[in-house]
Amino acid sequence: MAAVKERAQVTGVRKLEQTNPDYNPDVVIETQNLSKTYRDFWGRPKVLALKSLDLEVRKGEVFGLLGPNGSGKSTTIKLLLGLLFPTSGRALVFGKEATEVSKNERIGYLPEESYLYRYLTAEETLDFYGRLFDMPAKVRKERSAHLIDKVGLNWAKRRQLREYSKGMVRRIGLAQALINNPDLILLDEPTSGLDPIGTREMKDMILDLKREGKTVVMCSHLLADVQDVCDRIAILYQGELKELGRVDSLLKVSGETQIRFQGVPESAYDELKQLIEKHGGQVVALDNPKTTLEDLFLTIVRESQERPGHRGAGARTSG
Amino acid sequence: MVVESFESFFEWLPGALFVFFILAVTGIVLGVFVGYIVATFRHGPFEAFYVVAQVIAGALPDFLYTSPRRIGAIARLSIKEALRRRVVIVTLIVFLLSLLFGSWFMDFNIDHPDRVWVSSLLWETQLLILLMVVLISSFSLPEDIKNKTIYTVVTKPVRSTEIVVGRTVGFVLLGTALLALMGLLSFFSVWRGLSHTHLVVGDSQTIAELVPIDPDSRLNRRGKRVSDGAIREGETSVEMGHRHPLELVEDIRDPSGPQPLNLSNVVRKYTRDDGKVVYERLICMPVGGHTHEVTIRGEGPHANIELGPAAGYFRARVPLYAADLYFYDAAGDLTRSGIDVGREWRYRGFIDGGMSTQAGVTLSRGVFDFKNFDPAQFGDAPVVNMELNLAVFRTYVADIQKRVMASIQFESIPANPDFDAKYQADLIVFETKEYAIQTLPIPRTLRGRKIAPDGTVLEQGDYHLFEHYGQGGQIRLVLRCEDRNQYIGVARGDVYFRLTDDLYGWNFFKGYVGLWTQMVVVVAFGVAFSTFLSAPLTIVAVLIAILIGFVTPFIRELTNPEASGGGPIESFYRVVTQKNMEVPLDANLLTALMKQTDYFLVQGLNSLTYIAPSFPEMDYSDYLVYGFSISPHRLATTLFVCAGFVIGLSVFGYFCLKTREIAKA
Repeated sequence: MAAVKERAQVTGVRKLEQTNPDYNPDVVIETQNLSKTYRDFWGRPKVLALKSLDLEVRKGEVFGLLGPNGSGKSTTIKLLLGLLFPTSGRALVFGKEATEVSKNERIGYLPEESYLYRYLTAEETLDFYGRLFDMPAKVRKERSAHLIDKVGLNWAKRRQLREYSKGMVRRIGLAQALINNPDLILLDEPTSGLDPIGTREMKDMILDLKREGKTVVMCSHLLADVQDVCDRIAILYQGELKELGRVDSLLKVSGETQIRFQGVPESAYDELKQLIEKHGGQVVALDNPKTTLEDLFLTIVRESQERPGHRGAGARTSG
Repeated sequence: MVVESFESFFEWLPGALFVFFILAVTGIVLGVFVGYIVATFRHGPFEAFYVVAQVIAGALPDFLYTSPRRIGAIARLSIKEALRRRVVIVTLIVFLLSLLFGSWFMDFNIDHPDRVWVSSLLWETQLLILLMVVLISSFSLPEDIKNKTIYTVVTKPVRSTEIVVGRTVGFVLLGTALLALMGLLSFFSVWRGLSHTHLVVGDSQTIAELVPIDPDSRLNRRGKRVSDGAIREGETSVEMGHRHPLELVEDIRDPSGPQPLNLSNVVRKYTRDDGKVVYERLICMPVGGHTHEVTIRGEGPHANIELGPAAGYFRARVPLYAADLYFYDAAGDLTRSGIDVGREWRYRGFIDGGMSTQAGVTLSRGVFDFKNFDPAQFGDAPVVNMELNLAVFRTYVADIQKRVMASIQFESIPANPDFDAKYQADLIVFETKEYAIQTLPIPRTLRGRKIAPDGTVLEQGDYHLFEHYGQGGQIRLVLRCEDRNQYIGVARGDVYFRLTDDLYGWNFFKGYVGLWTQMVVVVAFGVAFSTFLSAPLTIVAVLIAILIGFVTPFIRELTNPEASGGGPIESFYRVVTQKNMEVPLDANLLTALMKQTDYFLVQGLNSLTYIAPSFPEMDYSDYLVYGFSISPHRLATTLFVCAGFVIGLSVFGYFCLKTREIAKA
């Protein structure tokens, strides 16, 4: 059945290529001069949420929308999903207008707060969303079981969502976003409300999706998360695009070089400094690298799972 | 029961389709215009064209690719959501409580307690079910939008059609289940509540308990006059607040004539000296609209009396109404509406019985022409029952105990009255019963005459009701008032042949179909309004729509161009200047101005009647309460009206949702 669906999607893409000569299958999202102004009841402009956004998201990449609160990230996502209508400009998804319903066949969306029906169980939730994709009962059942297993909620699949913790709701929210095996996944603050383990798992899942060839667009103000998973980012501020590019090139500090080595005693540091100065360079820092707090936390949790019992404070550092 | 519409479904349909078409075109034009104005404000006049065209072009695929599975999913979700809100369970609990304790306040000692009970249950069911669907349908979408749960739905390939139809289907299914449950519970509670029987007062349940009637006073033990031919009387025990008089009546028959078919209540049969056969029958006299079948077991004074269950409560009369009714005045001139006695003018026309101060006989009469007078519709009964519900207008009180006399006369309707002879039966004179349906059993053979077109009597004899008087499936009935200075009022729905009764349970079901159509329309209103209004505003809007629906007949009456007194301005002018409603106003500029203004006001008011269907016309309570079968034509008409509104409102809701920015704060 999945193969049939895949074929249908490929056919759909081909049809699109035939009907829309400008459609480039490598460009999943394209915005042209996209603007959004919120108006009051009388139609008077109230807030200019997005100003002339020009953007392209390519197939297979993880794209991050960054910006402080109110910068226009969520507005952009909502415009791409057709939840809002642009005041001017265009938003194209798979070459179609964002307001077209048929584009949703290939999209998965995880909203900021996982807006799900709290009186449904996890199984019922996925079954409901599967029905919305017109999936036959057998496919729905298989897909639901697979996703519940993937997000690690097998043990709670028959509990109503109102009994779930925030992290569990995020996980089932992600599962519903993936129910149709989408080509494009839009994630609005995917790690919001998750503990470090959940955050790590979410980021791993995003990277898994990337490996599967999916396109992921996420918006977040947690910069570390974006840095960990995104290939390219766009930085928005007060509705305007301020920066756009690859994460590695944007973060690259030109004019400085970082060397990491092992097994060299501290007594050799002076020699190294002298060598650098000999070549006209200047040593900015020379010390032991630090792990991230996230890595430290995850290591402690992992070790505690492997060896239950009291773990002395500073065990890692002293050991 | 007041019956004002005799139109069959097929007569009604072409006109209704035309109105639907006009309304659809008006709605489309109005919708495009409003859409363009709104789009102009948002995008400017030129881009507005593109936006409106895009919405219209997108509608066709949305309708074509609507998926039943998605509709089913949304319908299921709506049901779960509504059940979670507990409105349904509260509705059911309120209903059950009223069912359990309501009978405590019922007075069974009145005429037709079944009518009061059924009527109050129907009213309560209607109130509860409409209130429930108003709440569940008005809260659903606005809450979904407020909680943003709709984000995860509209970002799937779900079309606005599916959301609107899915919600509607879900609430209708839930409402249907609840209505069916309430209907079943009502039916069985009334059925069980009214089922009873009695014992005969006395030590033994035998004929010996009956006492002879004093031939001089003709009164029973309670001082009430007994029937003609009654020779002994008794009474039953008190059950459910009432007792029935029992009368042993002599039924005297010619041995060569028809004999009674039912002999179960015959106590004794003997032949008199004059050769007539006498059947002594024990009759349980009707009280409160019902009686009990009497069965005699054994013979002689020790024959046992058994009374059966209550009979006569649950009826579904199938009437055959006249295809036409017209009147003749005292001078014999044709009129359409009879004499106006100043009340119920539009519904009933009156027939005068002649003036005692004038010589000669009045020619005033009401003429009913029946079509489809087919013997197959009447079963095998030896008589054809005719039922009348006549009004009486007395110009003097006279003997208040004496009822006004009337007569009916049957005639054939020749295909060509100028050449063909007609059959005319003898008059059947009877006492009228005011404020009650009275039954006249018409024998299948009636004494009469055959009359040539010039009025010559060709022959006299007994003629068959169907073959002669009712030849060609048509029969004419002439109704006259036989008391001078008195008037008989009649409408087309007041005189009918009673065909074989419909099953009461089936009729009860049809009555609930009427309630169901009201519920479906209210759901459609709720869902349609909730696509662009918040929950509280949706409730207010739906309640206004319901109100308009309930007062639609009144608005139509008010805006009737033939109504006396003119429109609101003219009426006000008449009130201020103290001018009679019937007096024509002077033809001047002021009058013309008033009438023209009234015309626009009345048209505006009249257009309200197209916003919601006429709820009283979808309400079959009167049929169930007064025991009339709901005709399939009436049912089909109501279902079509309901379908028309649901389609119209769903399309309206679709466009509202489609053009709504879901995520707009």
